[in-house]
Amino acid sequence: MATDSRVIDGFGQVSQTAGTVFRYLLLFATLAGLIALTVLLLFVANDAIQPLTADPGWHLVFLLTLVVPTLSTVGYLLARARAALSVGVAALGLVVVSTMFAGGIAMILVDIIPPITWAGYVLTFAVPTVALLAARRAVDLPLLAWLPVAAVVYYASLLGIPGPLGSVVGLEQTVPSVAALFSSLSVLPADWLLLVVTFTLPVAAAVGSYVRPAGDRVAAAVGVGGVAVASAAALSSSTVGLTPVPATTLATLVVVPTSGYVCRTVLSRPRDRIGLALPAVVVGGSLLGAVLVRAFEFAGPQSWVDWQFLTSAHSRAAIDAGLYPAIGGSILLMVTVALFSFPLGVGAAVYLEEYAPNSRLARLIDVNISNLAGVPSVVYGLLGLGVFVRYFDQPSGTVLVGGATLALLILPIVIISSREALRSVPDDMRRASYGMGATRWQTVKNVVLPRSFSGILTGTILALGRAIGETAPLIMIGAPDVLFSLPTEFSAKVSAMPLQVFAWASLYATPEFYQRAVPAGVVVLVSVLLAMNSVAIVLRNRYQNEQ
Amino acid sequence: MSTDDIEADLTRNTENAPSELLARLFFFVCAVLSVVTTASIIVLLVSEAAKFFSVTAPLVGFAGETVSVVEFLTGTTWQVNSGEFGVLALVSATLLITVGAAIVSVPLGVATAIYLSEYASRRARRILKPALEILAGIPTVVYGFFALLYITPVIQLVFPDTGTFNLASASIVVGIMIIPMVASISEDAMSAVPEELRQAGYGMGATKFDVSTGVVVPAALSGIFSSFILALSRAIGETMAVTVAAGSQAAFLQPWNPASYLEGALPMTAAMIQLLLSDITGGGLGYRSLFAVGLTLFALTLSMNIVSDLIAQRYREEY
Amino acid sequence: MDQSTDESPDPIDESVIETNVADAATSDTARGPADTIVEARNVDVFYDDVQALDDISMSIPEQRVTAMVGPSGCGKSTFLRCINRMNDRIDAARVEGELRLREKNVYDDDVDPVALRRRVGMVFQTPNPFPKSIYDNVAYGLEIQGIDGDYDQLVEESLRRAALWDEVSDQLHESGLDLSGGQQQRLCIARAIAPDPEIVLMDEPASALDPVATSKIEDLITDLAEEYTVIIVTHNMQQAARISDKTAVFLTGGELVEFGDTEQVFQNPGSDRVEDYITGKFG
Repeated sequence: MATDSRVIDGFGQVSQTAGTVFRYLLLFATLAGLIALTVLLLFVANDAIQPLTADPGWHLVFLLTLVVPTLSTVGYLLARARAALSVGVAALGLVVVSTMFAGGIAMILVDIIPPITWAGYVLTFAVPTVALLAARRAVDLPLLAWLPVAAVVYYASLLGIPGPLGSVVGLEQTVPSVAALFSSLSVLPADWLLLVVTFTLPVAAAVGSYVRPAGDRVAAAVGVGGVAVASAAALSSSTVGLTPVPATTLATLVVVPTSGYVCRTVLSRPRDRIGLALPAVVVGGSLLGAVLVRAFEFAGPQSWVDWQFLTSAHSRAAIDAGLYPAIGGSILLMVTVALFSFPLGVGAAVYLEEYAPNSRLARLIDVNISNLAGVPSVVYGLLGLGVFVRYFDQPSGTVLVGGATLALLILPIVIISSREALRSVPDDMRRASYGMGATRWQTVKNVVLPRSFSGILTGTILALGRAIGETAPLIMIGAPDVLFSLPTEFSAKVSAMPLQVFAWASLYATPEFYQRAVPAGVVVLVSVLLAMNSVAIVLRNRYQNEQ
Repeated sequence: MSTDDIEADLTRNTENAPSELLARLFFFVCAVLSVVTTASIIVLLVSEAAKFFSVTAPLVGFAGETVSVVEFLTGTTWQVNSGEFGVLALVSATLLITVGAAIVSVPLGVATAIYLSEYASRRARRILKPALEILAGIPTVVYGFFALLYITPVIQLVFPDTGTFNLASASIVVGIMIIPMVASISEDAMSAVPEELRQAGYGMGATKFDVSTGVVVPAALSGIFSSFILALSRAIGETMAVTVAAGSQAAFLQPWNPASYLEGALPMTAAMIQLLLSDITGGGLGYRSLFAVGLTLFALTLSMNIVSDLIAQRYREEY
Repeated sequence: MDQSTDESPDPIDESVIETNVADAATSDTARGPADTIVEARNVDVFYDDVQALDDISMSIPEQRVTAMVGPSGCGKSTFLRCINRMNDRIDAARVEGELRLREKNVYDDDVDPVALRRRVGMVFQTPNPFPKSIYDNVAYGLEIQGIDGDYDQLVEESLRRAALWDEVSDQLHESGLDLSGGQQQRLCIARAIAPDPEIVLMDEPASALDPVATSKIEDLITDLAEEYTVIIVTHNMQQAARISDKTAVFLTGGELVEFGDTEQVFQNPGSDRVEDYITGKFG
């Protein structure tokens, strides 16, 4: 074999030291902000919950019943079954998030919209809708003819005949509205029964249809079982110290969806069902720990975030101060903002993406929206103050004005994220639909929107999170610093969690407030926002996987 | 089928069916609403601010108390009660916080962007990106308390003269808050750098470090720059964190003196909140000054957004 | 409701399908001369300033399979998309000349492209079922066109005609995306024929499929010509020869070089360029 005199031993080594140092510097920089935030959150959580004030026995009990079993379950799943771990985390997250959500809904049903009123509203819309659908089957009229008919029917249902229009010309009310008719019934079912019919039933049906791919029978069982559980919860609520309405709500929104998820997972992903051990261990461990702690009479931590804090109003004494009206205000604001910004934002996005993608107007609106997204929130507050309060002469600081202002604030974000979601719908789908002779609206309604829905939802949830974290616009429109009762209607004055916390820090800036109420408020606010963010992220991961 | 039938069938014009027109109208109104919002912001700010300045008040037929534009733009004292409206006192505080926030967020944000775009695995990116978004998702009022309750005491350990309210703590939290923005826009710019450029670098025997710092970052420079400006404009408009942490006493601070960071001052946004919380009478001079400051703030942030947009467009055209 | 049902034949019976599937290369000369359904007169298409089709004139017969062949970029797909005006969705595209569907120029100002597309169904190159159930995919056209009738029956009938019923009859409510590529394409064909169009356009319907799936689609196409006019774009010469009654050869530059009975085009091409192309010397 011929030898080559220029054989080399290797290629030498280019020094990677600078590169390695650089790489770790970058990683550190990436994590720096997160680390800083985590440390700050730990500090505030420590101030708010004060874990060190608990008995050592308390810590020991929970270490043994909750922490150790949870960590070992996670470790086992991490090593053996990663996919199952994600199922377990999802189930656990579902329990946590749905409990928070159910708490908010229960609050609304107890203090803002009693079940009777709620059922009245449901009937107000259900009765004319059913009637119209039946009529459309029986009579063949063009759509244009149906619109006025529908308008009249809904008007009569909502306001009665002749309603407020009649009072303008001096006519007496002859037929009351559906809600009025309903509430004037001499015998009304119990609140919880109304809830089961108007609330649990639709939820159970929705969960049932989610379970359906795993089997029709199971789906039916979950649906029927859900209704039964909600009824049972109402009847047995007094044994756990609850009233029937919140008990039904909790059962409907926590037990029914969770059992739906569990059933579907067990049946359709048998290999991952081991992951469900995680939520079981966490829930079981917590309950067991609570029982043991009570049995041994170990004192828990003197947390400022407690039932009293969540359910009472502001007080001049920091120890009695609570966040209840502000939580309710934030919920109402969120509902209002969603009602305004979701249809408007998605509508604008649809126009820009599906109707006029390349027109000059679309470009103008495009530039305009990206600039609106950069307008400081305090300027939106000025807009609310100058336009809604002063120009339209609305009372200052109401749910309606606050919601409208915050809706304008997040509208650009909703539009931008919805446009991204619409753009991710493959053009194949549109071509297929147009090729079938679908009109634009039919294509949008049947193909584009369903396909982009989870993306739109993700963006909207993130934007709503931003809205309920905002304080400045609420101050500008004159929302009160403290509120002693829950706002019960759109024209009531509203406070919100961040505003209440700010008020404690600025107007009641005593050490007691700083040490107790402010950290507790921050912990509640941040937990809600983190929950919303994680829901959005989970949704986004799911729809990115689908595509 | 006869020709008449097909004539009627093909000329139905389904796009003009009532449901189509209704849908189109609804979407159009939604889209135009954003333009209406911008227009009302501008009209409102300009018309109310016009009533504040001596020069413009007669133009809008306003006869109340006014302030001269020169005094507003060059005065360094902001004392609403004694009628002194020198916006420089507010601007100096805003400027200091913005610069401070930039010192925190720009290096961290750009480093994050390089890491995410050049070094991180897909998995790491999938975890890190949403985690970073959380930084921007925490309410700004919460950042304010973090600054006041936890960061200020640390600063006081190092510099005992630091006031309870100070610009340094406010700058730090505002900086943390805008990291995700710098990072995501810079990362977009870096991902837009064509793969061939990187390949060319590696082909010459360059290390990843060489390629990142020598090829990718210079190529993405205009995008990175546009992210700075956008983030700074966000910092200028930031309200609650600075309201809580920076103080409530307006003071003109030397922007080039680092010691200014240890003192409290009143940035523009905080001044607006303060005006609102104090008992200003609707239509009074204080109320109108709110819109004058608002207009200044809006003009500043809008022009920065536009500049950032122009720069971003340039880098999009480059590739 | 306004669907032209006057000439839709009765639901065909399965035995007819069977025989036709077996006899894929049905010769159509036996069926006698056909009426013209689509007639192009001097059609030019431009994308911005680039000419994609140059002065195309041809008459496409009713209830026959007409194949458009030619190298990539020759404009055959562009021509296909002119027939149902899918080119309208491309801003830069501009069409000149006349394209008559039963004597009505589809590029007249008063023509509604949506109404046109309800008469002219389309199947695309890559299977693109909606992310809905198989049933909903097929029923989509019926729903959007407001067609009355027993949907269960219409869906079954369309799936049978698309030779897919036997494979999916027990999973109608599962997602159309769970099917194999060939099944998806047949689902798309079922979807296209469910509202009973007059013409079915197919843009290289088998190019993304394996040979077995391709041959199923080919059998199906021959079969569909019993009822529908099928216009198919393909780059596969053998495929065109196997399934079509008429063949149009487009060559680079958007020219229609030859158009005639398939047999004649393949056996006795009129020009050397076409012969070169068909025999594979040039492509």
